[in-house]
Amino acid sequence: MALDISKLVTDMKDAASTVLMTDVSTFRGFSERQLEAIATQSAFVAAGIASGQITAETRDFFLDGIEDMTLSFAKTLRGLILVTIEKVWNAVVGVIWKAISTATGLALPVPSLG
Amino acid sequence: MGALDRISRNCCLVISAALFLCLSGCATQLAPPYDKLVVDGLNAANTETMTLFAVVSGGTRVGDYGARADKYATLVGKLDSLAISAGARPIPTNKVSETINQFLQNRGAPPIVEDAATPPSAHAIKKISETVAKMRDTDKKQGVTAIEVQAFKGQASIYFDQAITYENFLKR
Repeated sequence: MALDISKLVTDMKDAASTVLMTDVSTFRGFSERQLEAIATQSAFVAAGIASGQITAETRDFFLDGIEDMTLSFAKTLRGLILVTIEKVWNAVVGVIWKAISTATGLALPVPSLG
Repeated sequence: MGALDRISRNCCLVISAALFLCLSGCATQLAPPYDKLVVDGLNAANTETMTLFAVVSGGTRVGDYGARADKYATLVGKLDSLAISAGARPIPTNKVSETINQFLQNRGAPPIVEDAATPPSAHAIKKISETVAKMRDTDKKQGVTAIEVQAFKGQASIYFDQAITYENFLKR
């Protein structure tokens, strides 16, 4: 049986889109939460230092913390994206292998990222 | 260009890399496996940490430190243990990592997996532990003001969000 390329492309797009729609929503929500929280923390620490309520004992710790948590946010976002690459890979390869198995009549094992 | 626009652009680049990988037929693992024990431990530590912040929300005096010493020790111990568990799932550099970096480099984007051997959640949990430990040390030395408690809480909350979001996202 010949492989229907047009249907295969549509199925691959659908498989990738299903993963992406959910995951991009997570990325956006996480990013908005983090950026707002880091901005709020920065303003809070600045006000605390100016008023003397954040003491010399903790001032540098909080300033260093703002720098590190911003980098940590970027690295976490990168980690989330890598997970999505895995999921897209699995979804699309699953569709391709299923189409090839159907066309050839062979029970081909789907390659896995895991 | 806004931060979210840049993030969206980078997402598109990386997703393109994923589709490229599909066509290249590579097979490998890009992120650690989901670990329910880490997730459960993280949620429990989050509750305990926020409870501690609530108890001392009005600030502390040096003379009262003894009443909180055990709580600090227990919490820091749990967080350090969790950081070790979360970090004990290294992802080795592999051909896919190299392929993604090459793909991004060819399009003028920075590499994204140069230090992916340690999950980002392990770093976030370690920083939460350091935050609680710093509050403990300050509490013991001079007491903490109400504003300092809020700042410690803000910092711990941001790291908890990073760690919990990442660990939950691994359930795929």
